[in-house]
Amino acid sequence: MGDSAIFIIIPSFNEETVLRSTVEPLLHKGYSIVVVDDGSLNEQAKFIADLPVTVIRQQQNLGQGAALETGTQYALANDASYVVHFDADGQHNFSDIESLLAPIQNNEADVVFGSRFLTKQSSLPFTRSLLLHTARYVNFLFTGLLLTDAHNGLRAFNRKAAELIRIKENRMAHASEILILVKKHKLRFTEVAVEVRYTEYSKKKGQSGWNSIRILFDLLLHKLLR
Amino acid sequence: MTPIQFILIIGFLFTGLFYFVRLRNRIADVLLLLILVGVAVLFILFPEWTSVLAKKLGVGRGTDLVLYICIVLFYFVILKLYARMRKLEQQITDLIRKQALDEVEKLVKK
Repeated sequence: MGDSAIFIIIPSFNEETVLRSTVEPLLHKGYSIVVVDDGSLNEQAKFIADLPVTVIRQQQNLGQGAALETGTQYALANDASYVVHFDADGQHNFSDIESLLAPIQNNEADVVFGSRFLTKQSSLPFTRSLLLHTARYVNFLFTGLLLTDAHNGLRAFNRKAAELIRIKENRMAHASEILILVKKHKLRFTEVAVEVRYTEYSKKKGQSGWNSIRILFDLLLHKLLR
Repeated sequence: MTPIQFILIIGFLFTGLFYFVRLRNRIADVLLLLILVGVAVLFILFPEWTSVLAKKLGVGRGTDLVLYICIVLFYFVILKLYARMRKLEQQITDLIRKQALDEVEKLVKK
């Protein structure tokens, strides 16, 4: 099976210091890499211009959800069989992609979510853990699906699922929106244990806990206005 | 008529006229607006009516009733504005996305 039909979508907003180290290991695997530059201050393309990577630049910063949707549309237009969401900040381990894709390739699932809670994690800060566990149940309330990890940026879709899941939540509420759409379209899903590294960089660059209030608000409006 | 009644009525009529001109083509909105302005003018001319209505609804004073109704309307308007905002956001997103994808395609063709 050609690995170039596996499209890795990496939204990047001002991630130039780590982008290269995130992208390079993926290239060795022969995946098609799509970096979506979400209106960064410095054009992200400049920092990885020598790599065989597609960079899509959005002129304005729209948010991670919007960037993922743009990347997915590009992948679908370029004959992707599989679409994988991957964070740019170096949180994810490139070798997890294979185990993530396995259930899809065995035709056991349409969507696979990465979960950091299926194995014991030592490096997870306590407050983050508390927040994520609360988020699980909030997500369950809104979407009807209870996952072990509410907001993990690593997920994989087969083509059918990628075509059905059109993300309209521009910001971080897209993680919950995907669950809503999985349920709505009755897609088969499963979870796979993945590693999440909490580096100094990812802690600084990642979302603050306060952002969860914004996500909740977006989610409420999403439910209310549609 | 007291001066405050005069000022309030003029104010409501002006805003009503303003909306009327802008909403010409939307019957439902214009009707709603006419009813709201009509009620406002009536209550300004006959403030004691609010008290009568308030007593019937179990509210102590007419002004309290007006306040409660205003709060409900206020939330309704905010929600409408949010809906409008999200629609605009979606339109902007579509535009930026289309431009981004077009640009990539151009690069690939070169």
